[in-house]
Amino acid sequence: MATRKVRYKKLSVKTPLPVLREDQIDPTEYESLTNESQIATGVEQAEENEYHLQAVLQGAGVAADKEIPVPPPEESTLSYDALYPQKFQKTCTYIRFSQTVEECIGCMYDMTEDDEAFLKLYNQRRVASAQLSDDDFEKIMEVFEDTAYIKTPFAAVDQTIVSYDEMLHGLHDLDKSKVMPHAKEIYEYWKSQRQALGNRPLHPTLKYELHQENDDLDPYVCFRRREVRLMRKTRQRDVQSAEKLKRLRKELEEGRQLVLASHSRELLKAEMLKTDRAIFEQRAQLKEHKIRLGIKTDDEDLINQKPQKRKAPEAPAVQRPPPPSQIRMPLRPDGRPTEADLAQLADRLAEKENELRADIEKKVQNHSDWNKAHVDLTRGPLSPVVGPRPDLSFRPAKTQYLMTPPASASSASLEEPLPMELDKPENPHTVFKFRGVAQDEKSMENPPVYRRRIGRLNRLWIDRRGLASPPGERSEEQSDQWKYDQSSDDEEDTPMYEVDPFDTRALKFRASVPLPPWMSRTTAPPRQAALPPILPPNLPPNLPPAQLAQLAQPPQQALPRPLSQGQAASS
Amino acid sequence: MSPPGANGESTVGSDGPRQKGKANTDTLKVGCIAWVIKDGQPRRAEILSIRDTKSGRQFYCNFDNFNKRLDEWVPVARIDFNQDVEWPNPEKEKQKEGKTKKAPAVSKKQPSKKAQKKVAKREQSVASEEQTPHPWTEFVESQPQVKTPAKTEDAEDKANASLEVGGTPGVGPDEMELDEDETPAERAKKERAQSFSREEEIEKLRTSGSMTQNPAEISRIRNISRVEFGRYVLFPWYFSPYPEAFSQEDCMFICEFCLSYYGDLKSFSRHRQKCTLHHPPGNEIYRDDFVSFFEIDGRRQRTWCRNLCLLSKMFLDHKTLYYDVDPFLFYVMTTRDEHGNHLIGYFSKEKESTDGYNVACILTLPQYQRKGYGRLLIQFSYELSKIEGKLGSPEKPLSDLGLLSYRQYWSENIIEVLLQSSEREEKCTIEGIATTLAMTTQDVEHTLQALKMQVYHKGEHKVVVPEKLIKQREKSKLKQKRIIDPDLIQWKPPVFTASNRTWGW
Ligand SMILES: [Zn+2]
Repeated sequence: MATRKVRYKKLSVKTPLPVLREDQIDPTEYESLTNESQIATGVEQAEENEYHLQAVLQGAGVAADKEIPVPPPEESTLSYDALYPQKFQKTCTYIRFSQTVEECIGCMYDMTEDDEAFLKLYNQRRVASAQLSDDDFEKIMEVFEDTAYIKTPFAAVDQTIVSYDEMLHGLHDLDKSKVMPHAKEIYEYWKSQRQALGNRPLHPTLKYELHQENDDLDPYVCFRRREVRLMRKTRQRDVQSAEKLKRLRKELEEGRQLVLASHSRELLKAEMLKTDRAIFEQRAQLKEHKIRLGIKTDDEDLINQKPQKRKAPEAPAVQRPPPPSQIRMPLRPDGRPTEADLAQLADRLAEKENELRADIEKKVQNHSDWNKAHVDLTRGPLSPVVGPRPDLSFRPAKTQYLMTPPASASSASLEEPLPMELDKPENPHTVFKFRGVAQDEKSMENPPVYRRRIGRLNRLWIDRRGLASPPGERSEEQSDQWKYDQSSDDEEDTPMYEVDPFDTRALKFRASVPLPPWMSRTTAPPRQAALPPILPPNLPPNLPPAQLAQLAQPPQQALPRPLSQGQAASS
Repeated sequence: MSPPGANGESTVGSDGPRQKGKANTDTLKVGCIAWVIKDGQPRRAEILSIRDTKSGRQFYCNFDNFNKRLDEWVPVARIDFNQDVEWPNPEKEKQKEGKTKKAPAVSKKQPSKKAQKKVAKREQSVASEEQTPHPWTEFVESQPQVKTPAKTEDAEDKANASLEVGGTPGVGPDEMELDEDETPAERAKKERAQSFSREEEIEKLRTSGSMTQNPAEISRIRNISRVEFGRYVLFPWYFSPYPEAFSQEDCMFICEFCLSYYGDLKSFSRHRQKCTLHHPPGNEIYRDDFVSFFEIDGRRQRTWCRNLCLLSKMFLDHKTLYYDVDPFLFYVMTTRDEHGNHLIGYFSKEKESTDGYNVACILTLPQYQRKGYGRLLIQFSYELSKIEGKLGSPEKPLSDLGLLSYRQYWSENIIEVLLQSSEREEKCTIEGIATTLAMTTQDVEHTLQALKMQVYHKGEHKVVVPEKLIKQREKSKLKQKRIIDPDLIQWKPPVFTASNRTWGW
């Protein structure tokens, strides 16, 4: 019984609660944890005291017969079957339906009692064949109302009434023979009805906001447009930011580790210098001793047996695997053996390729083994594939205009691609043209296509196909120009060529270099810088071996070729 | 001066002392508080509007501590002029006038010939209403008189109270709500204090789902008197912003399937010949041999959903149609016959609720109330939450009927869970109950407390299930109440993209 003054343990939602029936516990022993005032009902505060609600909530035991009184509905006296004559076909499956109310109603104008009286009078004056039906009357009225709504949206304010001539356009879509004889008279009736209502729509309409000051206070104004929702902070966004921070932190940490590592490297270097110096001094002493003692041996113990620095191997051209004879390095002129213990990259590559090839062949063999006893009895099991798809993800380039998002658009809306006109039939004349590349009739039949992809380091690549060759005005000297064209991105990869500037061959070569066009012909326009002509290397067969060696370092695979950012942006 | 309410506080004219004095038919004006006979008993009532009919002057009365749905036009005979009348406080009255000025008065300003004709029509109808009193007044009077309940502290009885009610829900969600039962003066006072936060609220509501109630005075007065809907005639409870012209009609007609509204029987029957809808215009996501549920997208089916909101506003006080229906999905319950799927009720649900609500508005139409449909609607809303893997709760505030329905649903289901674990002699946690029922832990706790089941005994928290509730459960088991079969739900939570969100769903 002392519980009242005992401090309750806090009840958490995770606290396991024993569940008892009332008869399992002495009612005098427990006390209710709550008192009435603590319970929030969720009802509007001013309404919590509502008489009937309180009566039900507080009613003792006999509450079953207590209800909150509401105005009761009644059976309608109208004939339901007359008003709802259509029967409904039950479906076996769940209904799926997406038509709107407007699509289910048909003619939106519904004849009123006034209209009915008018039409009755109107038809009395006519022979049966020339009478206007209810449906046609409604169709005409619908045209009038719709046209008025579109042409004079503020009719109720400025009192303009659309003229009959303006209405004619809308009537064209109706059955003319039925409608036109009546249209003018119906128009006059429509006009009189509109004027009687202060030029308002004949069917009462909801009041929408007019963006006037009294909008907010008018209880009849409803269904206002909501403003565009601001971007809300979401959990996902938080997660993204956290990821970004983590990455930054990791990168910083890596930088710090690098600095630390180079610091210890420099320390080691200093150590090494010290040791070297000690060795040198020891050797100097040794030499002195040797001289003093007259010991004559090789001086081998006085010099370092420095390993000869290996000359950089000639990297094989990527697209041309070197012939087997080249795998082995030729003997050096000085007769020393090549370092057999050092594996060459080319060896490795060739080995890998052989392995791959063997593997593929084995798999092919396996597959045909599996299918050996297989007899296909299906008729035409698969439609034959007609060659590989020619333009895998290539598509004709064309100009397209991005939608400008409204100022209020948040970044989130840009995360999804907007529908573009990609699928529209193309117009060959809008095909994007690179300048400086000739297009002849042939190329128009087979327009150039482009593929965009993102390479390493987010580099943008534009692959292209079907480009016509540039005019053959290139001289033999220019044919290897592709080797020297470097896009600015590749600066760090620029190959270094060791050339003795006073070698006679080099001198001769320089003498043969023609003046660039802008130096020789002042009237000629400067060379189009956009894209150098790119062709597979067109090697003259009689190239001297030195130049062949230079070829071993092609700048890039000829196609595809990276474009600099400026050029890429123009696509 | 204590009104016969449940507890002394009055909602009418509680803004401090008012001038009092005798009045007569001609001096009684809008804003006065008078003693009016209601259900055979005198009751304080605020006069909200006055009109003159062929049979004499009538006063629109809001009764102290009575829900607005019981407001009515009262003839002079029911007003007790022997009692003093409380006059409206003058300067506050002025403020109120400033507020109402822009809203058109009900019975003034008839712009055209046609409208004048309508006035005549209306007065006719008023006269007829006078001869045959409003049908439900009799109903209310025929109800057993509710005595002022004794303030007993008997825990058992109280615990039982909310279970006994077979109510159906009419829940009005509304974060931003002006208390309609306040007097204008009280409201004005509050407004001064709260105007800033209200602006903030409106700002918030402009972009998020909830709706705000329109504060104008006119909306305190019911504008539609009678609605033909399918096989039934409905008598609206609250204001609904149908076109103003309809408040002049003695009856409004609503198509049962497309919910279009007409003030003219000819127009309505012409519409009925053309209308091809036989069910709510969306996908059926549940069907048993009793009811079906349809899912309707507020953006896709804007007209239909607007019509539904207009219809339901007549029975939901706290619902507001301030903003459009785009950010809501509507789950509509129907019953089938050879004519089609007839609307029983619905609940709306925000496409994305920041507060974790699984219901915005919920309503069973009056002709289907007190038949257990409300429980089906509520259960369905929780079944959807279970599929979503979320805990849900209805948006607040609840209406009186909504509170009763939800409490009933909650307590029945919680007791079921409790008794099952009691039979297995297992302990249970509030969180566990919440997860089982897809209810929020607050709602579970609220229910346990309301039923006085949460106790502190011998140093630990316990749950005690009262004997009465156990008996009740057995009784209702015999009744074989209809329930939703979750296996028949064919539904996946709809997915909305960021651009849906940005561009208004
Ligand atoms: Zn319809």
